[in-house]
Amino acid sequence: MPNDQLIGDLGRFAEPALLVLVSLSSGPKHGYAIMSDVASFSGTRIGPGTLYAVLARLEQRGLIEPLEANERRRPYRLTDGGAASLDAQLREMDRLMRAARLRLPDLSG
Amino acid sequence: MFAQPSAPLVRLAVRAYPRAWRRRYGVEIQSLVVDRQVSWADLFDLVLGAFDARLHSQLAPRPALAAILPARSVPVPSPALPAYGAMPSAPVAVQTRRAFLRRMLGAGIALVSLEFLGGSLAFFWPQIRGGLGGKIAVGTIADILARQPDFATGWPYSHPPARAFLINVPAAEALALGLPTSVPNPTADQLLVLWRKCPHLGCQVPELCDDLKRFTCRCHGSTYNILGEKLKNGPAARGMDRFAVSINADGVVVIDSSQITAGALERGPDHLVFTDAHPWDAVCPY
Repeated sequence: MPNDQLIGDLGRFAEPALLVLVSLSSGPKHGYAIMSDVASFSGTRIGPGTLYAVLARLEQRGLIEPLEANERRRPYRLTDGGAASLDAQLREMDRLMRAARLRLPDLSG
Repeated sequence: MFAQPSAPLVRLAVRAYPRAWRRRYGVEIQSLVVDRQVSWADLFDLVLGAFDARLHSQLAPRPALAAILPARSVPVPSPALPAYGAMPSAPVAVQTRRAFLRRMLGAGIALVSLEFLGGSLAFFWPQIRGGLGGKIAVGTIADILARQPDFATGWPYSHPPARAFLINVPAAEALALGLPTSVPNPTADQLLVLWRKCPHLGCQVPELCDDLKRFTCRCHGSTYNILGEKLKNGPAARGMDRFAVSINADGVVVIDSSQITAGALERGPDHLVFTDAHPWDAVCPY
């Protein structure tokens, strides 16, 4: 699936990219809001440098798009392609998780 | 006190991003680091991000996004200049001229350095392949005897390319003592090569004189025995200098004029290796 490849080749930015996509899936957010949101739902702190490296990559791949800036802040929105990519990514993780649960039934409780 | 990096430090980190990147994201990043209390870890993250942005310049934002950018507060040099992306030709030309001059200066310096380096290395390269200063083949002993039969009875064989006398030592000693002996097949260690350059001031030492069997330099009268040792007369401070000599596998006598042994210092008649039949102070009649 092409969208898998879009996010799969991000290397060390793959994980923060996924978190950013998840954060944007609940609506457009600007940089600071993404960082707070990610910190609140996953406990992961994304530094500003990492965040913008990820935003640039996602934007380049067409998975997110910038909106009109509001004062000095610019919100980003998930594109349809980004939503599809996130969906495919989550399905893949889900599949992996179920496979893991089958192998480790003791931990399922 | 230093729990958080100071604002100028953070601005510096943001400035480490490439220009095109700053045009696109600079305002956002600035506002982000103002909104949020920036930690040292965040600063480090910013610096890493700047490295990343410079490494992946293809990530620099595309011109198509110019439309949604906010107007810049700083006036842009050319009215036609977009905030980033494709540059109009005029500023590019100015930049290119400056870059071109700088590059030419660099290239010129590099060229001069290269020439200097090359010249220095070439200076150290050995220039001498043959002739005086290198190895000189004289010929086999048979060749030498064919050209000069009395070499067997001790007469020095002059080899002009080497500017040297080849001496058949045992025969020469006998000759100088007045007891001529033929040594028709001397070995390499029975050979001696005397450089015909007088160690005094460099005049060419003439042939052996017939009566004394000595060499006397015509310039200042320095006199040497048949083995080139300095005798009493003349200003030279030492005996004649010697070249290394060997006989190769083909029986050819080879003079190595790059290996020079300075003649022994003059220290009186008792220190001579060889004493001939004549007085210490006898001089060839020139």
